[in-house]
Amino acid sequence: MMAVNYIGSFALIALGLYCMVAKHNLIKVIIGMGLVDYGTNLLIVSVGFNPGGTAPIFTIAELTRESFFVDPVPQALTLTSIVIGACMTAMSLSLVIKLREQYGTLDTRKIRRLNG
Amino acid sequence: MNTFLNNFPILAIMILFVGAFVTSLVGRRSALARNGVVLVSMTAALAMMLALVKPVLLDGQIITYWLGNWEPVEGWAFGICLEVDALSLFFGLIVTVAVFVSGVYSFTYMNHDDSLVNYYTLFLMLSGSVLGLVLSGDLFNIFVMVEIMTFTAVALTAFRNTYEGALEGALKYLVVGSLGSTSLLVGIAMLYSQLHTLNLAQISALIPGQGANPVIIAAFAFLFMGFATKAFLFPFQPLAADAHAVAPASISLMISGVLTKCGVYGIIRLCYVLYENLNQPLVQYLVTGFGAVSMFICVTMAFNQHNFKRLLAFHSISQVGYVITAVGLGSALGVSAGLYHAMNHTIFKGLLFLTAGAVQHQTGSLDLDSLGGLSKRMPRTTLLFLIGAASISGLPPFNGFASKWMIYQAAFQRGAATGNFFFLFVCIVALITSVLTLASFIKVAQSVFFGQLPEQYKEVKEVPLAMRIPMWILAVLCIVTGLFPTQVQNYLLLPATSAAFNAANYIDQAMGLGYAAAHGIATGGVAGLMVSDCWNPTSWLMLLFCITCAVAIVALLASPNDLKDAHISSCDEQAEVLDAKYESFFSGEESVYSQVGGSDLFWGFKHNWRKYFSYMHDWHSGIVNDYTLYGVVAIAFVLLACIILL
Repeated sequence: MMAVNYIGSFALIALGLYCMVAKHNLIKVIIGMGLVDYGTNLLIVSVGFNPGGTAPIFTIAELTRESFFVDPVPQALTLTSIVIGACMTAMSLSLVIKLREQYGTLDTRKIRRLNG
Repeated sequence: MNTFLNNFPILAIMILFVGAFVTSLVGRRSALARNGVVLVSMTAALAMMLALVKPVLLDGQIITYWLGNWEPVEGWAFGICLEVDALSLFFGLIVTVAVFVSGVYSFTYMNHDDSLVNYYTLFLMLSGSVLGLVLSGDLFNIFVMVEIMTFTAVALTAFRNTYEGALEGALKYLVVGSLGSTSLLVGIAMLYSQLHTLNLAQISALIPGQGANPVIIAAFAFLFMGFATKAFLFPFQPLAADAHAVAPASISLMISGVLTKCGVYGIIRLCYVLYENLNQPLVQYLVTGFGAVSMFICVTMAFNQHNFKRLLAFHSISQVGYVITAVGLGSALGVSAGLYHAMNHTIFKGLLFLTAGAVQHQTGSLDLDSLGGLSKRMPRTTLLFLIGAASISGLPPFNGFASKWMIYQAAFQRGAATGNFFFLFVCIVALITSVLTLASFIKVAQSVFFGQLPEQYKEVKEVPLAMRIPMWILAVLCIVTGLFPTQVQNYLLLPATSAAFNAANYIDQAMGLGYAAAHGIATGGVAGLMVSDCWNPTSWLMLLFCITCAVAIVALLASPNDLKDAHISSCDEQAEVLDAKYESFFSGEESVYSQVGGSDLFWGFKHNWRKYFSYMHDWHSGIVNDYTLYGVVAIAFVLLACIILL
């Protein structure tokens, strides 16, 4: 059950990296960055999953030694990571808009004034 | 323990972040209030770090602060903690001093720009995140701080977005830098899956019990590459070059002096405290190898540059390469040499970037080919530049000499102790790199500050005093830390090095006494450094002897006939070269102000190595896909090497 999640998350990361390496359109490169992010998020949230566990929502009175729930920490990490990923996409897209205005193209092979 | 002092780490971080928000609230009304808020937050953070010097560095305490008072329960750390040991405080001091100098410099340097409220808000957030990173005792917190750091640094790189290439440099930094962030996050997820904790101290205690668990080893590879990206080690150096060349000079200081130090801090924390695996030869080869390759490739790349700050950027990574090389040696002397050079690098590279900023501020240009003769118009800036250039090239009595001397000793000692040729080779590469650095700075001095003064710069004036004061602070630090290496070693380096080697104490202070012993981690520590003093007359005599031998050998080998032949053949080759750039050294008639080819002073060297240089030039293609590919290949390589060989 969990192996599927791990394979899926690394497949997403690999797809995203392929996109970042092979695609010459800046928008596609940013989609690749997004895919890498989603893969990582899937990996973290899978790490904290306990088969058969309940949602980790308790009051102190309800919480006993026998309570069996999924690990809440990775879920918190995933939330943070999703927020960061959204910021990254927004920021890179805003840079791309400005770049398009200045360079008149989205082709990475033409956006290389800084080289050598 | 003084409980009041315990609040200082969190207060120092908070005051920078709160300052950022207050700046954006009051800054739109009045420039004075904005600068006041920035100055107060920077000074307060610096003062708090200085107040921690006595308990942490001198008395050897470790200050822990649990946010919301969530202390560990039954040996499990659920809360987030800040843990300040001597190593963290050493980097905290570097960060706050650099932030202070950069901020004071910005007040005058940025006065030509508009929307400065955004600049200072981002600047303070960058400072706060970097300080939070080095003081944090929680792995995920480190990741969050790295992300804030990357975002603010990217935004500040693109701050002058009308400047040629600013957006391009920022976008490349963001895209390829995201590889490093992802790598860190995957490493953290893997560690969490095995150890179920994020606290650095607890991770450090639990890792030895895991044995040769492949997931833990893969996590090491990912975390190492994540920090290496943040330190811009090879193959990530094109990012640094692009970002530095287009960012404002005060931000270049922050990127080179502070952001790369976060990567260095991360690597030291990871290899010495978390994994304690630098006693394994493979990890030593890996870390030292990355350092040595970055050191050499970046210094040769600097030869090709025609932009003042892009050239400085390559030197910056070359010097970070020195630091990583020394850190990877795995000996106490190596770590303290690395820490010393990290500190000196912030000082002298900051000074050089600020002088480059001064030149840009007064002339509006950073082009080495068009500048020249500024020593007549800006004598004080020239003096400051020469101090910085002498420091980075490792000339005595400046600080670069003292730390490079220690790095050579550490590498040589390591090679002699193990009889391993690799470390001796690294020592030789370090020496050659230092010579090339000096050569490169002679070129810069010649093409910017000496030679003929072009017509359009006849009216250039000296920079205002408010910009010279930060530069003088750094220049004085260059000389002081170079003249008193013994004191620096005793009061700064020795405590920080002992902290790096004493993981048990780090664990006990966070998790409760006896926790480390229960997990089988022995108390370590460093009693003293076996280092021969820079000013030891015997070593100077040996150096003199070596140089005399080298000169004698060269003089004996090169008979007059050889010299004549060499001259003729070089003239022949000269005729074959069609590029007019190579001819300016002799003719100088192509343009009036060719100033003996100031920016091509070493055309002969470049000509002989032209295949290497043209290959490296093509390698730095400027296409973001290529840079991503290099990064992915490097991460895959380290991952495979670690899993197969560890």
